Amino acid sequence: MVYNTLSAMQSFLKKLFFVMPFLFGIGFIAPLIAQSMAEFGWEAPWGLSLIAFGLLIGAPWGLYATVRGRWV
Amino acid sequence: MDRIDDIGMRTGETALYDPVRDDAETRLAIPLRAGDGLDKHTRLQLRKEEQRIAKKYMSTPQQMRIYTVITVGCFLAWLSFFPLTMLDILPVWPCFIASCVFAAGGYITSHEAMHDNIGRRGTKYRFWNELVGEISTIILIFPFSMARMMHLHHHYHCNHPENDPDYTDEAPSAFKAWIKTWLNRQPGADGSIHHYKRVLERIGTKGAQKALRDTMMLQLFSMAVFFTMAWSGFAIEAALLWWLPRHIGLSYIRFWLSWAPHHPRDGHGRYENTRVFRTWFGKTWVGHWMSMGMQYHIVHHLYPGIPNHRTKYAYYELKPVLEKRGVDCSAL
Repeated sequence: MVYNTLSAMQSFLKKLFFVMPFLFGIGFIAPLIAQSMAEFGWEAPWGLSLIAFGLLIGAPWGLYATVRGRWV
Repeated sequence: MDRIDDIGMRTGETALYDPVRDDAETRLAIPLRAGDGLDKHTRLQLRKEEQRIAKKYMSTPQQMRIYTVITVGCFLAWLSFFPLTMLDILPVWPCFIASCVFAAGGYITSHEAMHDNIGRRGTKYRFWNELVGEISTIILIFPFSMARMMHLHHHYHCNHPENDPDYTDEAPSAFKAWIKTWLNRQPGADGSIHHYKRVLERIGTKGAQKALRDTMMLQLFSMAVFFTMAWSGFAIEAALLWWLPRHIGLSYIRFWLSWAPHHPRDGHGRYENTRVFRTWFGKTWVGHWMSMGMQYHIVHHLYPGIPNHRTKYAYYELKPVLEKRGVDCSAL
């Protein structure tokens, strides 16, 4: 029982760390882009809000890093 | 003659001791040339001399107090930057520069703790040793348990392609080494902390498992802080106080503490696994501070008990002995 729980937890954490770049793209890069643009007084294109634009960049970039294993 | 050949004497060279030519010159144990062909007696004498000098520079708890004071002070300052910048009491840019210095310099103080230089086991100073180690590298998201185990592994297996955890830092030039410090941290790369995790899994001891657990917890904690701060409107503060200083600090220490003193990583012996090097600033104090004292890294590998701030002085006193052992000391 304990072993199964630990094993399931380990498996969950491995998956979590595998998708961490994607989460980082959404959780950190997207708001960082939005707040940096706000700091410099830049507008988002296509009438998007700053955070929507940030997510548009951060989420695919994080996904790319997850799949490719590198950020650039 | 066979025995002499075994230790590297070339045919026709003067033998170590020639009973036929019993004069003062042939009584020498060996002509002390560039370190090759030393006999056991000479090695022993040189080692004794080396140890006598090194002993003078070994750390004492009293002189290491400054490391504790600096570490605790810098850690508290770094923590205070978060509320102070978030409340606009302090501008974020100077705090960013200070955080970068703390990130890179933190490894140096942690490094002393890895070698128990601040407080040996079983002494009343041990608590401070462990405290300094634990808090120094939080900014690098690099737990002390992992840092200590990997660093000691590096000492045991220095420059071994499989067993030296820092071997992945090797690069053909200084520029490529800087690039590699960043490439090694990519999510899918087998370098830096990713490589350390793999090494710890291979070691598999309780200590290694603890180091892996600590790493996971610190990484999850830091991600939680980044995400929470970012979505609360403080992404720039999180980036400039922690995320970016961590990357800059890691690149800096991997270049100066790993690549520069060990390049080209082809020596495995006690006197060959590190090199004495000169920075772009020659023999000036700038090079000494910029490299964080790593120009004299050979002293550290020979005697890890000599603290970082004394390796320079120990090196210059040890230099004649090192030269006799064949170390290329021409750079400094």
